[in-house]
Amino acid sequence: MPALPAIAARAEVIRHHRQQGGQVAAVLPVHAPRALLRAYGFLPVEVWGPPGVRTSDGASHLQPYVCSIVRNALSFLLSGGLDATDLILVPHACDSLQGLGSILLDFIKPRQPVVPLYFPRSEGAGAHRFLAEELRRVATRMGEITSRAPAADEILQYVVDEETGDRLLLELHETRRQLPLNNADFYRLVRSREYLPREAFETAARQALAMRHPDSAPGKTLLLSGVVPEPTSLMAALDERQVQIVADDTLCSRRRVCPPGRSSDPFERLSQSWLGGPPDSTRGSSMAARSDYLVRQVAASGACGVIFYLVKFCEPELFYLPTLRKALQRKGVPSVVLEVDLNDALSQQMLTRLDALLEMIP
Amino acid sequence: MNPAAGLAYACNARVLGPAALRAARLHAEWQARGGAGRSPHLAPPLRVAPRCKEMVARHWLEGRYVQGVRKVAWVTSGAPVEFLTALGFYLLYPENHAAICGTARVAVDLAAAAEEAGYSRDLCSYVRTDLGSLFSGRTPVGRLPRPDLLLACTNICQTVLFWYRVLAEHFGVPLVIVDTPFVYGEEASPNSLRYVGTQIDEAIVVAEKVAGRALSARSFERVATRSRRATELWLEILQRNRHVPAPISAFDQFVLMAPIVELRGQAATVDLYAAMLCEVDERIRRGVASVREEKYRVLWDNLPIWFRLRAVAELLAERRIAVVASTYTNAWGELAPYLDPASPRESMIRAYTYPILNRGTGHKLHIMQGMIDDYHLDGVILHSDRSCKPYSLGQMDQRERLTGGLKRPALLLEADHNDMRCYADEQAATRLAAFAEMLEAQR
Repeated sequence: MPALPAIAARAEVIRHHRQQGGQVAAVLPVHAPRALLRAYGFLPVEVWGPPGVRTSDGASHLQPYVCSIVRNALSFLLSGGLDATDLILVPHACDSLQGLGSILLDFIKPRQPVVPLYFPRSEGAGAHRFLAEELRRVATRMGEITSRAPAADEILQYVVDEETGDRLLLELHETRRQLPLNNADFYRLVRSREYLPREAFETAARQALAMRHPDSAPGKTLLLSGVVPEPTSLMAALDERQVQIVADDTLCSRRRVCPPGRSSDPFERLSQSWLGGPPDSTRGSSMAARSDYLVRQVAASGACGVIFYLVKFCEPELFYLPTLRKALQRKGVPSVVLEVDLNDALSQQMLTRLDALLEMIP
Repeated sequence: MNPAAGLAYACNARVLGPAALRAARLHAEWQARGGAGRSPHLAPPLRVAPRCKEMVARHWLEGRYVQGVRKVAWVTSGAPVEFLTALGFYLLYPENHAAICGTARVAVDLAAAAEEAGYSRDLCSYVRTDLGSLFSGRTPVGRLPRPDLLLACTNICQTVLFWYRVLAEHFGVPLVIVDTPFVYGEEASPNSLRYVGTQIDEAIVVAEKVAGRALSARSFERVATRSRRATELWLEILQRNRHVPAPISAFDQFVLMAPIVELRGQAATVDLYAAMLCEVDERIRRGVASVREEKYRVLWDNLPIWFRLRAVAELLAERRIAVVASTYTNAWGELAPYLDPASPRESMIRAYTYPILNRGTGHKLHIMQGMIDDYHLDGVILHSDRSCKPYSLGQMDQRERLTGGLKRPALLLEADHNDMRCYADEQAATRLAAFAEMLEAQR
């Protein structure tokens, strides 16, 4: 398979941005207001864990029944992993992230300012107004931190630019079958959206899209659902078995690619965009909307089976799981659940279950 | 109204059932006078306790026959319900139902039915208990009425949002969500309060449609007045425990709190708590202590361990430890000042935005510090409840500050409010014994 265009590593990107005099914002899952952060001079770098950190630091603040994304993020912060960042943004994606945000603000009080962001769960017109105002509040706070005051037009331009980035990300997902990339490389590319400046991501995405080849016929095909494709050894295992992930439904990637907003007010526009995004567990979408969406994704991509790659203790995802699996079953689509802790290797037992799924699909 | 349902309701929920429950209450009162089942370490239950039990039992009895007679709403424990009560809805609290199952020790069997249906054991045990009850049709209360409306308010957790999504899918009825943005700092933003207000307005419109009638301002105010009064009385009852020795324990409160949760806004609830307050005052005058030889006074944080309520109370009382206050029971009293019957809508916005679970971990520490002073407490038991992350997260830092700055022994007790499989009797007994030793050493 052709090689993936070079993508700079996270640490390298952060170092380069700081050398240019820029500031870095650590953004916890799920919704990152990239455009706002960029407008105030921050490079948004998302923190999904990360895996493989020393968790003992976080263990003195969080109980063992908290998911490893939250536990690792806190451990990473406490062990100095976020020292190169100037702001910590904590979106309210679940009760555990709510708890983490609160502990950071009330007890740990890191050097960096901590800014929470509440994502509304109701569906009325009030939710849109609330979110637009909430984003304004976050922007005001960033203005206080940076002493910058970008004009509305300037912020709008960042919003529009990030929409282009999202459009390219969507295109990568939608043309996945034609991209001659193995699973590991594909996910390395799409997940670079978590930390690359939009301009750099666009370059990498366009290079990859230029590699499209109509004959890139995969072997067995699957849809990957879940939170985040970590541990990444799953990708290596799939590549070894010549299985291609042809559709993505992970929280960290496709599931938060939102359609562009319409308003000329940047906050309204961002709110419209986010609230118009794919049905999602962390937003508390209806069971029907979430399962219809997943079934449609499977049908559109031609995936023959689904892997639910879940992080243990992720309550939002676990609640939807029985409904989603039932909906897939009705359509004759087999699925498997692999529940992991970010710090554990993919066990032999899980690989056996993966193989059992593969035996069921043509 | 369905005539057959109406007849069954009138006979069973209004005449025969209440008569049987009244007889059971009289029997319980007679037994209590004779001293049956008394603990050597604990004061007998309040005389009003059988009346409280009868009231709650009548409510669940009504639920068995209410289908087709009154509109039914299933609601979360922190939901704004005054308008539903004013519209004549029968309110069912799945959380209370799950707690009843926990106390009756049938929760694990029910949870197993939910787990078989694919719901993970890592989900809240209340949810698993109730979904298991729904899927299996088994319940210790006889029968649960099918909802006409679901109302979930996120002021206690996000779990209820997902839980009610499952219920909405199962029953195919309207779900109203009142989403209350988490209050990280001192005050909720005007934006948050406006958002909550808009949703309450929308909820009223949906509820009126389901009820088939408009909300009367007079009824709304009347219910809000009763809610406020009951909440005030409840808070007064709790605050009587500032007296040394404490007249009732937090374990009593866990049982006696059912009406303030599920029958808030009803005249009978106000009467019950007024009578309870009188009896608590009488205990203080007579020097009756909830723990006979009270030596140490402690705070309980988080939900109780429903299936070991009595065992934990006895275990502590044996060591002369009285659990005199609880952040959990306090949560249903501390919002009394926010409820203003003259403007029920506006006051509901604040009252239902500010519950302890919708506020930061620092706020909860502040509340605990205040309770330590007000109730003259020697230590704190923090129930690290595997099934309740919003309540439990932050406890490790809170414990550090309680033991450090305040020099109060604080125990982190790992358990679960409903799932017995997450609780080890021996381990808990050892931990509580060690805690008792810490209290002794502190003196």
